[in-house]
Amino acid sequence: MRHTSRSQAVSPSWLMALLAVGLILAAAVQPARAGTLENMERERAMLLETLLSADMTVEEKQKHIRLSRTRLIDLERMVLRDKSLTGRNTPRVRAAFENYDLTFLIHASTEKNRSLLDHWLAEIGVSTQTLMNARAGRR
Amino acid sequence: MKDRRYIAFLRPPRQAVLGGLALTVLAGLTLAPQLAAPAAGSSTAWRPVASERLIKLPAQYLKKAIDRDFSNSELANAMVDVEDRIKRKRQTLEDLQAAVERAEGEIRTELRHQFLAEKKAYIELAAEQQSLRRRQAKTKIRLYEKLLGKLKREQGALTPQRAALIEKQDAARQRFEAARVQVDTKLFQSTLTAESKYAREYAKNISAIETLVQAINAHPMNASAEIDGQAISKADYLRHLIAEGEADLAIVDQEGAILGFMAKLVSLDALALSEDIDPDAETDLASDEDAPDADHVTSAVGFFVGN
Repeated sequence: MRHTSRSQAVSPSWLMALLAVGLILAAAVQPARAGTLENMERERAMLLETLLSADMTVEEKQKHIRLSRTRLIDLERMVLRDKSLTGRNTPRVRAAFENYDLTFLIHASTEKNRSLLDHWLAEIGVSTQTLMNARAGRR
Repeated sequence: MKDRRYIAFLRPPRQAVLGGLALTVLAGLTLAPQLAAPAAGSSTAWRPVASERLIKLPAQYLKKAIDRDFSNSELANAMVDVEDRIKRKRQTLEDLQAAVERAEGEIRTELRHQFLAEKKAYIELAAEQQSLRRRQAKTKIRLYEKLLGKLKREQGALTPQRAALIEKQDAARQRFEAARVQVDTKLFQSTLTAESKYAREYAKNISAIETLVQAINAHPMNASAEIDGQAISKADYLRHLIAEGEADLAIVDQEGAILGFMAKLVSLDALALSEDIDPDAETDLASDEDAPDADHVTSAVGFFVGN
């Protein structure tokens, strides 16, 4: 009888505290939501990996590139239209808008009438000319 | 009948009263604006807040919102009240002036005495009104300056690095928009690349967005302020309002000088009365050349000169 009355007196506050702790934990373990920029960068990285991959057959490569390109078109547009990125002065956002040609790969390559790989290589400074001029040697 | 009513207010030791009146007018009226301020007190408050809502309002509605806030304030009520009292006082002065002109001998002197007392009361009321107007102008200037400061802080919050980033983002968007049609034609001409769900939905929504944007641009609340037909920025409009407030203050100060001269004339009249000088011998300075606005302090000049 004594035990029951004690538990009745204590339980509401304990319940509230437990509920609060539960809510905090639930919020803490929620997966972080990637933004448009992060999604685009991940997709672009996968596309470049596919382009440079030597382990795939031509058909497999073409299939992967086609799928990735369609997704990347949308993701690039989402990033360019994302108002929340305007003025967000983080290293990632700064780096993304530093070089349009490297960040918005699909749009920039189409605009310049170049294939994806040619465009990317040209933008990072690798061209047929530079490769032809290169000499094998020891550093 | 009216004359008798005025006479009833008089007290026997006339010279002493007139001398006292002259002294009161001289000492009190030079300090009139300062004395009127505490008299107005805290019951005549207007404390507008430079809120974010005000800053976000379109420039041309900013002033209207502030004016509406003022009209609901105790200060506005006090100003209306004082204006009403001044109108009634002016009517009294007109009646008394007419009575003085009609009266003769002892009654005339008594009426002149009463007229002087009423003129003093009028000056005190006018000083109170000026004090309220000064407070209104100062509060407005302070509010506009606060709003301008907040606006500057908001605009100046951009660091050079952030400004450069925004510039690059704008350039990227412009480049994208300029090449979008070309890119669409090239990318989607192939049967292998179908338009995505996002592209279809976005195209559907964009026409609705454009219609709404047009409506927003055409909305009167979104129109920018104009001065002499020239559209100006919000900061420029606030600076214009501050200048207007300063002009109001300068006018109130000038009117204060007019009240000072009126006070001096009242005190001279009081001295003349105490010395029993014939009023007809006084210099007649009355002039109605410009016929001033009935509510303006200059419209009362006629009561103070030539009586």
